Amino acid sequence: MNIGGIDLDTFLTAMLATGLLRAVPLVLAALGEAVAERAGLLNLGIEGMMLNGCFFGFYAAYRTDSMVVGMVAGILAALVLGLVFGVLTITLRVDQVLVGIAITIFSLGFTGYLFRDLLGGRNVSADVHPLRISIPGLRDIPIIGKALFDQQAIFYLSWALVPVFAFLLKRTRFGLNVRAVGENPFAADAAGVDVVRVRYLAIVIGGIMAGFAGAYLAVADLRIFTEGMTVGSGFIALAITMLGRWNPYRIVIGAVLFGMLRALGDGLQVIGVDIRTEFIGMMPYIGIMLALVVLAGRTALPSALGVPYVRGHR
Amino acid sequence: MSGRERLRHAAVPFAVSLLAVFLACLGGGLFLELRGKDALHAYQVLIERGLGNPGQRTETLKQMAPLLIISGGLAIALRAGVWNIGIDGQFFVGALLCGIVVPELAGDVPRAIVILIGAIAGLVGGLLWAVVPGILRVRWGLNEIITTLMMNYVALNVTSWLVKGPVRDPERVAPETKQIPLSDRLPDIPGTSVHIGLLAGLLVVVLVGVLFRSTVLGYMFTALGRNRRAAIHAGLPVGRLTLLALLLSGAFAGLAGANDVMGVQGRFSGNWHPEYGFTAFALVYLARLNPFAIIPFAFFFSFLMVGGQSMPRRADVPTYYIGMLEGLMLIFFAATVALERLWSRATRRAPEDAPLAIGAASAAAPVSAESDAGDGAVSAPQNTALSAGETR
Repeated sequence: MNIGGIDLDTFLTAMLATGLLRAVPLVLAALGEAVAERAGLLNLGIEGMMLNGCFFGFYAAYRTDSMVVGMVAGILAALVLGLVFGVLTITLRVDQVLVGIAITIFSLGFTGYLFRDLLGGRNVSADVHPLRISIPGLRDIPIIGKALFDQQAIFYLSWALVPVFAFLLKRTRFGLNVRAVGENPFAADAAGVDVVRVRYLAIVIGGIMAGFAGAYLAVADLRIFTEGMTVGSGFIALAITMLGRWNPYRIVIGAVLFGMLRALGDGLQVIGVDIRTEFIGMMPYIGIMLALVVLAGRTALPSALGVPYVRGHR
Repeated sequence: MSGRERLRHAAVPFAVSLLAVFLACLGGGLFLELRGKDALHAYQVLIERGLGNPGQRTETLKQMAPLLIISGGLAIALRAGVWNIGIDGQFFVGALLCGIVVPELAGDVPRAIVILIGAIAGLVGGLLWAVVPGILRVRWGLNEIITTLMMNYVALNVTSWLVKGPVRDPERVAPETKQIPLSDRLPDIPGTSVHIGLLAGLLVVVLVGVLFRSTVLGYMFTALGRNRRAAIHAGLPVGRLTLLALLLSGAFAGLAGANDVMGVQGRFSGNWHPEYGFTAFALVYLARLNPFAIIPFAFFFSFLMVGGQSMPRRADVPTYYIGMLEGLMLIFFAATVALERLWSRATRRAPEDAPLAIGAASAAAPVSAESDAGDGAVSAPQNTALSAGETR
């Protein structure tokens, strides 16, 4: 297809391929956040947890040349912060926004510090050899073929988590408990649900997924670490969670849309359209706000979101 | 209330913050030792380079100005229960607007007028950037945490584009606005080398203090922050108060930008990226949202920022250590506040002027009748923001 001298195929392929790649960390982080929010926990530390996932994931991968080690390290680093968030907000019942921002501030400094201290602030790259899975036949489908069927193994794994989370939230006892605890912890408690335990599990899942998202970004996708490299991805994931109303499939739509907005620059470059990087750069952020406006009023937060649970303290 | 009780009243929250600072420094120091650094030496360098000689003390005092101005504004928002996380964006837009306007006037009008207009430009810039999340919040009920955060990234891109193109000083290659002549920068406080921004900062903080101590508006902000639902039931203009709190904190962030452009930088540069937002957030919480307590903490944080810059060279500790320390202080603060609440419950002495927004209320006040979810333990009413409605 060729419109006005612009090769549309090339453009769409580039957009879709990059867009899907950019969407993966957003989807991963947003899936975890969906569970946390459903359980009544608004995790603004998600940005910091992702950043920790980036650094520890990258550093471990850099030292061991193993992608798997990197992913595990990134997940564990964020998991620890998830537990800190849990202790402070669930057990000690401190304000979630305060704790979340504290964790993000700490992580910005902490990962920046370690980057200087352990890597001398150099932009080294990790020599990992990710397993690539290229599906013969399917990868030759025009436009979507290369974007969907010629990727790293972990790319497929990430997308496979979407139905897993949908199942977890909708069809399991744990998912039901999570939703009950987020909507009405008193009723849930009365029905015999261990509110504290469910909330801890939810934030642990949130931490794991934020770490996974960060490690994916630094280890599988970019293979480098730079200070503050998440540039708000965690916060965007949080917004996408709200946009998708905690439904994993709707989250995917939001994430792919914003992944493609982020990929717009690459796409336009391929077809030779010259546009200021700053305009491209602010697209995802403006897009989020517009989408929130469009959906305003149709999004309802879990009613106990942000509210600590005190037994008998109705 | 007896004098002793009053003292205890003020001393306990302050002691809790100091404990958090101490624990953070201790924890940070242990971390440094684990990383094979000499923590005591590092702190010694920090103190020497932050306060050691008159030059460094001057730098520390200068650095206080933006922190005071921003924190004064942020205290309004946080006390009113409005989460303005968009300080950095508001700061940038205010700074850029000031950097555009002031060089155009310089030379033609008296310095006092130039500075006044520069300050107004900063205020307007910050205010404009806060208008968007403000309206989104009040009109469509969008959570301001998300929108103010998003506006930060938009501001970075917009200012960067403007300063590279339309408003760049044509005589320079670097992305910068025209330079403000030295004769039109902020003058020094007589007898010192500290520019008058410090006085402006102190003035802002004192004004905010008076706002909360003796005006109806301040009282309404506080009422709103403590219990949004009760404020709605009491018939307070909740929407307008929310908007006003956001606009005021945005305007002050912009003013701080103007302060740095007219007092320190002399121009707006695209390569200049101070990030005061998170620092101010930590600062205001450690000051327990109390405007007057902001002054000593601004001094302390300013000292950390100035001293921290010498740490890489003299103690082999990256400057990021300071950011990490700020985060640790806030994390420990969260923990100590929770312990304070337990303690005050144990001694059955719930201070009625207890710290806002943080946990304490559940022990202090019986939970209000209409609360349906153990509310009162935390000021989280704004978390229902996406569901809209209530503020219209």
